[in-house]
Amino acid sequence: MIKIESVTKRFPSITALDGVSLEIREKEFFGLLGPNGAGKSTLMNLLTGYLEPTAGSISIGGEFVNRNNLEVRKKIGFVPQSLALYDELSARENLEMFGKLFGLPKKLLRERIDERLKAVELFERRKDKVKTFSGGMKRRLNMIASLLHDPVLLLCDEPTVGVDPQSRNAIFDFLTALNEQGTTIIYTTHYMEEAEKLCNRVGIIDHGKIIALGTSDELMEMLPYEETIVIAKNPSTLQHKATFEEFGTLLEEDDHFELKPGNGFLLSKLFARVEEQGMRYQWIELHRPTLEALFLHLTGRRLRD
Amino acid sequence: MKQVVRLFQNSYHVFLSDKVAVILTFIIPLVLMALFGSIFGGSSSGPQGIPFAVLNQSNSPVVRLIAASFDTMKAFQIVKSFKDSTGKEVAFDTSSIKEFVRNGKVSAAVFFPPDAYTDTSVGLTLKFYYDPKNEIETEVIQGLLRQTIYSQIPSIMVQSGFRQTERYLGTKSGRAFNTGIKSLLGQYFKIDTSIFSNPSRLMLQRQNGDTSKFSSNFFDKLIRVEQQQLVGQEFRNPWATRSVGGWAMTFLLFTLTASSSSLFDERKSGVMLRLLASPVSRVHILWSKYLFNMSLGIIQLLFMFTAGWMMFQIDVFSNFFNLLLVIVAASVACTSFGMLLAAFAQTRQQAQGLGTLLILSMSAIGGAWFPTSFMPPTIQFFSKLTFVYWSMDGFLQVLWRGLGTSAIALNVGILFGIGALLNVVSVWQFRRGRIFD
Ligand SMILES: Nc1ncnc2c1ncn2[C@@H]1O[C@H](COP(=O)(O)OP(=O)(O)OP(=O)(O)O)[C@@H](O)[C@H]1O
Ligand SMILES: [Mg+2]
Repeated sequence: MIKIESVTKRFPSITALDGVSLEIREKEFFGLLGPNGAGKSTLMNLLTGYLEPTAGSISIGGEFVNRNNLEVRKKIGFVPQSLALYDELSARENLEMFGKLFGLPKKLLRERIDERLKAVELFERRKDKVKTFSGGMKRRLNMIASLLHDPVLLLCDEPTVGVDPQSRNAIFDFLTALNEQGTTIIYTTHYMEEAEKLCNRVGIIDHGKIIALGTSDELMEMLPYEETIVIAKNPSTLQHKATFEEFGTLLEEDDHFELKPGNGFLLSKLFARVEEQGMRYQWIELHRPTLEALFLHLTGRRLRD
Repeated sequence: MKQVVRLFQNSYHVFLSDKVAVILTFIIPLVLMALFGSIFGGSSSGPQGIPFAVLNQSNSPVVRLIAASFDTMKAFQIVKSFKDSTGKEVAFDTSSIKEFVRNGKVSAAVFFPPDAYTDTSVGLTLKFYYDPKNEIETEVIQGLLRQTIYSQIPSIMVQSGFRQTERYLGTKSGRAFNTGIKSLLGQYFKIDTSIFSNPSRLMLQRQNGDTSKFSSNFFDKLIRVEQQQLVGQEFRNPWATRSVGGWAMTFLLFTLTASSSSLFDERKSGVMLRLLASPVSRVHILWSKYLFNMSLGIIQLLFMFTAGWMMFQIDVFSNFFNLLLVIVAASVACTSFGMLLAAFAQTRQQAQGLGTLLILSMSAIGGAWFPTSFMPPTIQFFSKLTFVYWSMDGFLQVLWRGLGTSAIALNVGILFGIGALLNVVSVWQFRRGRIFD
């Protein structure tokens, strides 16, 4: 449905996207995972036609996207990374103003607004000024403001930044339901948990390039190991850091260590060493590796620092 | 076009929701206008009851008339006598009136000596005593004094003019010449020449406000035109009439710079992204902003002039169509200026900082605050390069001189021209600028 063909976008000082090719299928929930400055927003802005690629092309449902193609935009809903709302207006007024631009009949627009407000539990606050809303409420409003025209494709640019867990879950549920009803969604984030939880397929983007692409399981196969080893942080394990480092890369987190096993790793050997050093088995847990681990493996850097 | 209309409506929606913007656009200018107006004597009643001493020793009917006209002016509270040490009311004499001013009992006094107006002199001699400590009051009094006296000048000039001819040609031949001229004038211009021999009749008529009798009089009409331009005696509030355009222009520039800079807010908040991800193009946004700013400018100017009418009885309605033309043209030029700033500035702060600087200097040299004729010739040259000048001049043509469409055609044309030019530059800059990237 969406074809991104060798798209490059250069700004005067930086190449934000470098020969990106991607195909996104209808009804897919596609995640674009990448660190700050990777080029996620740039790709989104190219998809809306706000920016034009330096090279390459983008088409949605067979129609090419560019600055002047206003028709194709009626199919797209775009949730900007920033809170693109008028603070001094009420929730409903904001929705009316943005919805109007899609040329919906007044009555239909009114109905949709009420319906969407209810869906994200903002109906009670519909007459309040946006500036009185919490961050999470603004995020939810920011999202439905892009959905009044029932787009077939929804582009969400980090819609959960600075959101409390409750609002975040509300957003997840809402998007999942929307996807189940048939809306194609492209979702950018730098939270690997989000990408893993929500998306059928994930593209990992770094420095303007897609460095990995596939379902969660497919991506995990790119890792040379099948589990991440989590080690409790205590005086004894701290003392034996060097022991663990024999087995691979050891990451120190606030309250635990994470061991990314190296080549030829055998769990039995690790346990044998642990026993030898007089440490306890309980301090060691096995986890399914995350996309974070994959990113680290691919780039040698963390997704977030 | 539909999208432009929708965006235009949205702009008003956003504007009206922003109480601060509304207050800055309408209320603050109104308050400042009322304040300046009342300080500088523009308010409907003007300054009232300023104590002012008068001593008249002249017997000339002209002088008596002038002195008497002071009594009828609300601005003055005329004092002609004082209480001496025994508490008795004593009329002023030449020394006691000076003493009165010196002691600070009044801020100023006027003394008409016995020869204040004589057959041999061309004009009027009088003495004005004042205490420089009360500078502003004195200025106001001098202004009003001048105004009162100037309003009588046509009569004085006519009368003294004939006297002069009599003096040079000798009484007899002079009189014959004058009579000859008078009958000539009477014959060819159908003028009632009796007023020349008896100017006080004219003045008395004026005093009663009944000039209708002379309105068909060619010579009288000439003089009256002159009088309007010099003094603006016809206006209830000449000062306000002259100034309202200037106030309005300065406020308009501030308003339009601010509202053009709203593009920066929309860019920063991401609203611009949202709009451009909708079926809206950059051209739609620019057009809607332009139309919004221009209409806001027109509304603000109309509002200011209406306020001027209510507060200072400025006559905005008798020449309304032409006033509207200048208002529209001024709004176009100012809107283009605001858009130009938005196109070139990198941030809202830059736009407003640069805007303030340009607005203040253009307003100053463009004559929004004081007439350009007071300025040195070089500055006057630069005045003409600002659209503030052409707007101000247009307002003066319409409000002050009461002129018609042909008289303001140049102003309106230049304003539209400046607007178009600035727009071309802005559009060019918007294309390569940062607002949309
Ligand atoms: N308009 C622009 N002009 C110049 N450089 C830009 C512009 N927009 C983005 N960039 C640069 O392009 C690169 C990619 O930016 P982009 O916003 O796409 O990253 P991102 O993946 O969305 O990051 P984040 O997670 O922080 O939102 C960055 O280095 C950024 O500085
Ligand atoms: Mg981004």
